[in-house]
Amino acid sequence: MREEIITSGRLNPHIDPHLEIWHWQIPLYLFLGGLAAGILFFAALYTIMGKEDKYPGAVRRAPIIVPFLLILGLFALFLDLKHKLFFWQLYTTIKFQSPMSWGAWALMAITPLSIVWVAMHIREFFPKWDWKYDLLKDLEIEALKYKVHIAWIIIVLSVILGIYTGILLSAFNARPLWNTSILGPLFLTSGLSAGAAVIILFAQSKKERELFIKIDLLLIVIELFLITHLFMGFLASTSVQIDAANLFLGGQYTAPFWIFVVILGMLVPAALKIMELRHFKIPVIIPVVMVLFGGVMFRFIIVFAGQMSRWLY
Amino acid sequence: MAIDTKKCVGCSDCVVACQTENNVPIGYCRDWIVEVTDGTYPRLEIELRSERCNHCDNSPCVRCCPTGASHYEKGGIVTVTHSKCIGCGACIASCPYDARYSHPDGYVDKCTFCLHRIQKGLKPACVSVCPTKCMYFGDLHDPNSEVSLILKKRKHKTLIPEAGTQPQVYYLI
Repeated sequence: MREEIITSGRLNPHIDPHLEIWHWQIPLYLFLGGLAAGILFFAALYTIMGKEDKYPGAVRRAPIIVPFLLILGLFALFLDLKHKLFFWQLYTTIKFQSPMSWGAWALMAITPLSIVWVAMHIREFFPKWDWKYDLLKDLEIEALKYKVHIAWIIIVLSVILGIYTGILLSAFNARPLWNTSILGPLFLTSGLSAGAAVIILFAQSKKERELFIKIDLLLIVIELFLITHLFMGFLASTSVQIDAANLFLGGQYTAPFWIFVVILGMLVPAALKIMELRHFKIPVIIPVVMVLFGGVMFRFIIVFAGQMSRWLY
Repeated sequence: MAIDTKKCVGCSDCVVACQTENNVPIGYCRDWIVEVTDGTYPRLEIELRSERCNHCDNSPCVRCCPTGASHYEKGGIVTVTHSKCIGCGACIASCPYDARYSHPDGYVDKCTFCLHRIQKGLKPACVSVCPTKCMYFGDLHDPNSEVSLILKKRKHKTLIPEAGTQPQVYYLI
């Protein structure tokens, strides 16, 4: 038998879980950031491919919510900081080793670009929009001239943003559940899937809607594939990572993970999507909301469970 | 730093000395005592360890810090510049030893090996008060320092070296 006791007084999150350093703000931000990255990725992709007129919902309409998502996400991040008045210190250094540093810079770049993108397509929602000032009118003409270039920058930044939400966690070798490189692609796929789901709501034609239903279906399959790999990797690894995997395979996160994330967030919406493609009448909103719900739950569960997983000594 | 687990009696003097010296807020601590009991009665073996930040050579906290607030001092001690710390918690999440805490004033705080004392030629508070003299502090780069000499003589271990952090607090066993 082996027993370890901390005999002196000590605040310890493994004894009192409320002492964990990250609460709801981080997973909420990870979701909003991933969703924003997903929407921008498809908007930029179809602009670059020259299919803007074929898929106006993705290129012109859906991105309108992106600045709001990003600003809300940034606000959640700000709430998470404990030394708030010093937040500007993030922008005095670039630390390549710290995912949080280049994530902060990527956000700094993509947030204004997303606002520019919305401004370029503002007439989609307000046909009589007038910029009032000549300077703004000139800027719009210039921006529209370089639209494809802007799209290229956005597509690169959106992939960085999507991957970064996962890499942020996988850089922590102290938390075995997070310490896997699969988390980067997994969070990116999940963000793209959420983005595709939202675009379905903004789709302008049956053809566009069906395309994004197919894309979302494919992304859900990739996600399931990556989750399988995640657990295969853990179970073939060291004891701390086997313990981490066991949080989901019989441990306390088993039910929420498999029910909310995998069944309600992936399998059921995937089935509904297949039925939609087979022309069954299903309200568009239901699978979309389920995918988004799965995305939120996925991030909350990974962030909270990750903080419970640890090295033993 | 080297700590002799055979001499330590787990009195928590080091904990209290640190809290007093560094004005650690009530309820928090930069060092703590772990008591490990192995075996079944009557064949029991106890190991007592005074634990703190390991001032790792490959510190995940320094790597993860987005602003450079967590950094290596000359000589390898890991410290936090309070005015650069934004309190994001990345370093707390990244430490396998849970050696860091969020100070009520917002910044992240941890053991500094009493840098302010070392610079004056004094020993860290925990080392200087230890009633059994079970702690040895010095420059590991200097082969003739007290700590280097004792590590040559005695069998020792570090905590979770497999985490890849290259911890620099050695436990004599």
